[in-house]
Amino acid sequence: MRLSRYRFRVAAVAVCLTALCVLAGVVAARVYHGVILTGLVAGAAVAAFAVGFLLRNKPSWLSAVVSFWGLAAYLLGSFALTGDGTEPLPQVVVDAIVNAVPRTLTALIPVEPAPDTVGVPVFLTWLAAGLACELAIRYGRTLLGCLPPTLLYAAGLYLVGPNAGPAVAATVAYCVVAGAALAVTSAPPSRRPDRDAQVDGGVPKRSATLIGSVVGATVLLVAVAVLAPMATRLVTTSPGDPRELVEPPQLTDIDLNPLVRIGEWAKYPEQELFLAELDGDATMRLAVLTEYDGVTWQAGGDFRTAGSVLPGSGEGGFSAEVEIIELGGKLVPAVADPATVTDMQVAVNLDTRCLLTPDGLATGDRYTVGSDPLTVDPAGAENARVDLSDQVSVAIPPGTPEIMTMIAEYITTTYDTPHARAQGLADFLSQHYAFDAEAPSGHDYPSLEFFLEASVEAGGQRGTSEQFAAAYAVLARLVGLPTRVVVGFDVPGGASTVTAAQGRAWPEVAFEGVGWVPFDPMPAAGVAPVPPQETLEQLEEEPTEEPEESQGAGEAEDYNDPALENEDGDFDTEAAVADEGIPAWVWWVLGAIALACVPPALKVRRRLRRRRRLQRGTPAERVAGAWAEVLGAAARAGVKVGPHATAEEAAAQVSTLEAGIDGLPGLVNQAAFAPGSVDGADAEAAGRIATGFERLTRTRVRRWRRFLT
Amino acid sequence: MDTEQTHPLQVPRAVQQQVTLNAGQAEAFAATFERLAAAVDTVVLGKPEVVRLALTAMFAEGHILLEDVPGTGKTTLARAIASAVSGQWRRIQFTPDLLPSDVSGVTIFNQASGGFEFHPGPVFANIVIADEINRASPKTQSALLEVMEEGRVTVDGHPHPVPSPFIVVATQNPVEMDGTYRLPEAQLDRFLVKLSVGYPVEAAEIEVLRGTHQRSPENIPAVVDTDTVAQMAELAKYVYIAEPLYAYLVQLANATRTHPQVAVGVSPRGLIALTRAAAVFALSQGRTYIIPEDVKALAEPVFSHRIQLAPDAAMRGATGAGVVAEVFESVPVPLPASAA
Repeated sequence: MRLSRYRFRVAAVAVCLTALCVLAGVVAARVYHGVILTGLVAGAAVAAFAVGFLLRNKPSWLSAVVSFWGLAAYLLGSFALTGDGTEPLPQVVVDAIVNAVPRTLTALIPVEPAPDTVGVPVFLTWLAAGLACELAIRYGRTLLGCLPPTLLYAAGLYLVGPNAGPAVAATVAYCVVAGAALAVTSAPPSRRPDRDAQVDGGVPKRSATLIGSVVGATVLLVAVAVLAPMATRLVTTSPGDPRELVEPPQLTDIDLNPLVRIGEWAKYPEQELFLAELDGDATMRLAVLTEYDGVTWQAGGDFRTAGSVLPGSGEGGFSAEVEIIELGGKLVPAVADPATVTDMQVAVNLDTRCLLTPDGLATGDRYTVGSDPLTVDPAGAENARVDLSDQVSVAIPPGTPEIMTMIAEYITTTYDTPHARAQGLADFLSQHYAFDAEAPSGHDYPSLEFFLEASVEAGGQRGTSEQFAAAYAVLARLVGLPTRVVVGFDVPGGASTVTAAQGRAWPEVAFEGVGWVPFDPMPAAGVAPVPPQETLEQLEEEPTEEPEESQGAGEAEDYNDPALENEDGDFDTEAAVADEGIPAWVWWVLGAIALACVPPALKVRRRLRRRRRLQRGTPAERVAGAWAEVLGAAARAGVKVGPHATAEEAAAQVSTLEAGIDGLPGLVNQAAFAPGSVDGADAEAAGRIATGFERLTRTRVRRWRRFLT
Repeated sequence: MDTEQTHPLQVPRAVQQQVTLNAGQAEAFAATFERLAAAVDTVVLGKPEVVRLALTAMFAEGHILLEDVPGTGKTTLARAIASAVSGQWRRIQFTPDLLPSDVSGVTIFNQASGGFEFHPGPVFANIVIADEINRASPKTQSALLEVMEEGRVTVDGHPHPVPSPFIVVATQNPVEMDGTYRLPEAQLDRFLVKLSVGYPVEAAEIEVLRGTHQRSPENIPAVVDTDTVAQMAELAKYVYIAEPLYAYLVQLANATRTHPQVAVGVSPRGLIALTRAAAVFALSQGRTYIIPEDVKALAEPVFSHRIQLAPDAAMRGATGAGVVAEVFESVPVPLPASAA
């Protein structure tokens, strides 16, 4: 009976620990594409545990050797399963082993299950499961056995980082399963003398213990439920992302600032860049430039290696098949927002969602991009506030040319709302400046000043989309609009050859709740530009109102002033709703009360157990209960009696506490080995000895243990 | 010694059927045991534990091997035990030229009767003192194998039973190895206990010097007779052993067999010997049941000489006693559990 219960407990703990390892693997697998990794880590956990469990009675070294070869075989199978079959398996294995760690950490979310990205999770899961089995099953240390899966779980959460939602369900499940494993425990009967043995051939009743445990667990759960909301409020930062520690792919100048290509494309418009077959008319983006330093526009953020499915993307229902002809560099043209990329290894910029191929584009390269085309609601943008969440998009380097300040003043004075200013600025540029394919390239401050201010005779006031987009973006920032410059191509639906003439740059303005809205500052064909000086001089002639007097109705509002949020119904005010819940101090008080209940609950539980041990059952059981009380009291006082000590030896050890238990060892031996030889009087005597011993040793118990037990 | 059916040490038929002993029988056993031990203690000074272990082995119907350096009182102890029991005892001085027939006896043609007659050897006694047993050749040592296990001697195909009880008290010197023959494992296994007398403590040694001429094993009066010894040995067979203790004993034996330093662990015969000895030990304490303390007290003298160490372990200085101590640290004692 005793042995069979032990076997049942061991089997139950094995199942629980295997489940913990599977859960840990599943948590990590959330950042992987598909369910392949989930299956692999679950299989690894089960297989590793099975090996350890079956060999639990064999020498440890044998278990280690078998587990090692089992792991090797399993990894080999995993590599074969996730490989694409284009390379021989030995080469795949070597490549996966050498690059497993860096590629697992650099791969973007969702990670594509490949030999070099599944190796680390499978290896760690196998290792954790094997260690857990050794510790918990072979050595009966359940708590230690829970450590490897817990570390694996933590590693999984670290690997996921901020790239997935909170793993609440998995964590709760993990805690429940771990609690179950600890409650069942795989400790052999020898280490549970007061739990797992028989008394007079019978199994001690456990109902009271179970009730006490349930009550204690309930108190703890209430405490957790009360404290958890407060604890979560204290956490204000997102989990760190290990991918940030990895060096991103480096860009060349042509890729850092593709705006300089506009001039070349404008000069040689017949140049065939690539073949494209799109599901419909679309704009293919090559780069999004957000940072301006007065000299160049550059893309912000880092590119991260990604699998065929890009992180944070949708279905990718809009398909674009591309074959490169003469387009160079590393930047990959794609319809925004790209969701899937096949037939080409790419990295993605998480900020702008532009693509890059580390090996660079070459003639003949073919790939297919599945995108979710961006849809912008112009009507929504008309009343929206600008989105100032990214300060980079409004940063203006020092040294702004005076002409730009003047134009910005003109726009600010002429238009009221952000959208009107954005559209007004586009109209200003399109009406006052001309397109010239021969215009020299350049978008630094002097070039833009020349473009905006120089006379027509001197070659000013005309340029390519490079100057129009760059000038618009800087001017808009002077007005207070967050802008960026996009370089891309207008591509018609169906199959077509995209030439340099289709390449252009355009500015975009960010509106809150709407997104990035493109504006077209390019002049219409055949319309003669109006000299900008005429318009700007009109502005200077108009009287400027004093600031004190300009606060009347109808004057321009500061649309960036948060104070207006509650007053102006035009703007989205959903974020302004105050947090009206139960006051925080209520949670604190409830938490304190729940915590304060824990020591009394533990004390009550202990008193009930003592009463049960000393007053219930047969005399032999009561004597055994007194013995358990004495051993427990001695352990709390710092003298832990091992399971290999006889009653007399235990009494000798306990005697160091200077609290005698004379007579009790004899009664214990009688109760255990001479059935029917102890009576009620003996049991009462044993109870008195135990109570007296506990009273005498209480002063030796550490204060915190005395408080809690 | 009163050996009537009404004697407390006599196992009544009714008791045999119930297979339980009462406290009175245990106390009578303990009293007799103590008188015998006290008598031997008058000659073997300062070694009460060794004396009681030796007597325990005797009442467990087991043979005793006394191993120690010369002059520590091995032979004195053997002779004292023999004198305290009023039975027939013989002493055999084992020498290299001793023959098996010198031990077991020989069949001789009687010219007068015209037939062969068996002349019993010195093993035909209740207590046989085999002094310096390892000085005889293995062939002669082997003459004791049958009689120690089966209580009879077979000569020329005819079995000759030895008197009952039959106890061999052998001595050997572990230091002086020249001209000696190590006892084979089969022979060692037949000894219930191997005891080491050891040097006496200072006070006891001074007492030994004071009364050298007065104390002699021959001066010990017989305390019990062989019939009483047989009755006491019979009584020990009815000591109660709780079920958990059986498992405990088997686990101990298994632990010796799987110990990494052991080539051959304790045999089932050794386990039976420990159980019998623990029963006698319990009775000598006035108990009718065995407790783990009894097992622990006897395990080292009963087990250690039965454990054959692995060669590398022996080279590193491991001992059977050390293995037994480790085994007891690895097997938990079956103490009772409370109701919660």
